[in-house]
Amino acid sequence: MTAPTLAREQFVSFAPLSAEEVSEKQHRVRIDESVTSPVVLFFFTGIAWLVIGSLAGLVAALKFNLPDWLGGSPYLTFGRVRPVHLNAVMYGWASLAGAGMIVWLTGRLCRVALQQTWALYVSVVLWNLGVLFGVVALLVGYNQGMEWLEFPKPAGGLIALGFLFFAYSIVMTFRKRQVEHLYVSLWYILASLLWFPILYVVANLGIYSGVTEAAMNWWFGHNALAVWFTPVGLAGAYYFIPKVLGRPIYSYYLGLLGFWAFALFYNWNGIHHLVGGPLPTWLVTVSIVASVMMFVPVMAVAVNHHLTTVGHFRMLKFSPTLRFVVFGSMSYTAVSFQGSIESLRSFSEVAHFTHYTVGHAHLGVYGFLSMILFGAVYYIMPRIAKWEWPYPRLIKVHFWMSAIGVALYVLALNIGGWIQGTMMNNPALPFIASVNATKPYLWARSIGGTMMLIGHLAFAYQFLLIIYRSGPARYVPAWFELREPEAMEAEKTP
Amino acid sequence: MSLPLAVIFIVSFVVIAGALTLAAFVWAVQTKQFSLKQLNEGANTIFNDDEPIGTPQDMIFNSPADDSPNPR
Repeated sequence: MTAPTLAREQFVSFAPLSAEEVSEKQHRVRIDESVTSPVVLFFFTGIAWLVIGSLAGLVAALKFNLPDWLGGSPYLTFGRVRPVHLNAVMYGWASLAGAGMIVWLTGRLCRVALQQTWALYVSVVLWNLGVLFGVVALLVGYNQGMEWLEFPKPAGGLIALGFLFFAYSIVMTFRKRQVEHLYVSLWYILASLLWFPILYVVANLGIYSGVTEAAMNWWFGHNALAVWFTPVGLAGAYYFIPKVLGRPIYSYYLGLLGFWAFALFYNWNGIHHLVGGPLPTWLVTVSIVASVMMFVPVMAVAVNHHLTTVGHFRMLKFSPTLRFVVFGSMSYTAVSFQGSIESLRSFSEVAHFTHYTVGHAHLGVYGFLSMILFGAVYYIMPRIAKWEWPYPRLIKVHFWMSAIGVALYVLALNIGGWIQGTMMNNPALPFIASVNATKPYLWARSIGGTMMLIGHLAFAYQFLLIIYRSGPARYVPAWFELREPEAMEAEKTP
Repeated sequence: MSLPLAVIFIVSFVVIAGALTLAAFVWAVQTKQFSLKQLNEGANTIFNDDEPIGTPQDMIFNSPADDSPNPR
């Protein structure tokens, strides 16, 4: 792969910057420089966990196709590898990369250099030690036995402590902000800093048993999405879509309405995972009602992002960041609508306890959050490394492997899971019939997972190149396709 | 016996989280975050003079002459 040799002047010409613009630019560059090291550390370690976590995920997926494969080693049995995958990608990749994005966005949105940077270094060390300790503990057989909370308590403690140091630096930066108005992305970021530590600490108290423990488990499991991963993803989408397009968000009113409706409804959702369980009916019903009410904030976000992008969809052909983030935003709409429908008792009767739920979770954490984080990394890194991505074709490989991989994965598990659910509900059929019926879909799952892993390897390789400012120097943007100067000028909208 | 303790903890933390969220809302109202001016202009706050509205921002250039980056 060779870098295009199109000269900078041939590509597009910008008018010289005025003195005021230079000053603004210098200020912005200083802010970016203040966040460089922490952001690179968060991204670097996050991507390392992404590769490890997706490798573990692929091993777990293949065990559905080849049950005896690696069965001789206790460390690599499904019951250990699967939680390693889940926790490595959630607390490793998504959390650390999300934290990196938050650090960068906070500097930009508060228009101030980062405060208490030392706390971020402490945070990234504690956080990674926590994940490392947790992953090793899972591999050797220690597991708390609750989904999303498998890590032993000391690992959870390290992660919680790391989060507090992280939040301290962000809050101190926020206090020094040089802006009067809080952009909607900052609302989501600050809300996640407030809610997630409470959620994580309460869930890890270890004072629950029986039905209460199950209720707490899913209150936590769903709220980890609600108060940490979703705000992080939406904060990114609300920043990068308008920024890349160069046009403000379509309706700021809808943006704030969406945020407060999100704050009101989302945290009640978790108990819909226990439809049919031995809980008070009202508790489950409240959760279902709140799940359906999520249509309000989701519609606000979907309409807003769509109307911001409409008329500029051609930019998706060129901009990697925009393509990843818009894919993520569309997946957010899809996964949220799916989640609201999935919470209904009649739907849950079939889909619950099947592969359908696994597909739904991947649409959320991968199709939505991870794709937005990929887009964010592609936008942020050239600005702080001061080096353009060397190989746009590798970005293309990453995008298509991830997009087709997750689409195949979700579609296969949704269809296969539904078939599995209907067969399990049929008393005339033996259980093994439902297992056999899912086999082709589980192969599709493994193929989708393999594609995603290939995309991650391309991403990780190029990330290493950019942090070392390696590979061919580029004098044009690392877009999927080069554009003519006239087209660039036409893109500028009044 | 674990149920009452769990309930006490969960209710306490939910009340704290709810109170903090409510306090954030009150603070936002008091600092005029929802004023008409802010709502009309808030969307523009991510742009400035050197990253203006109307110019797509997904681009960065390097200067081949002196290897000094010129990020936009």
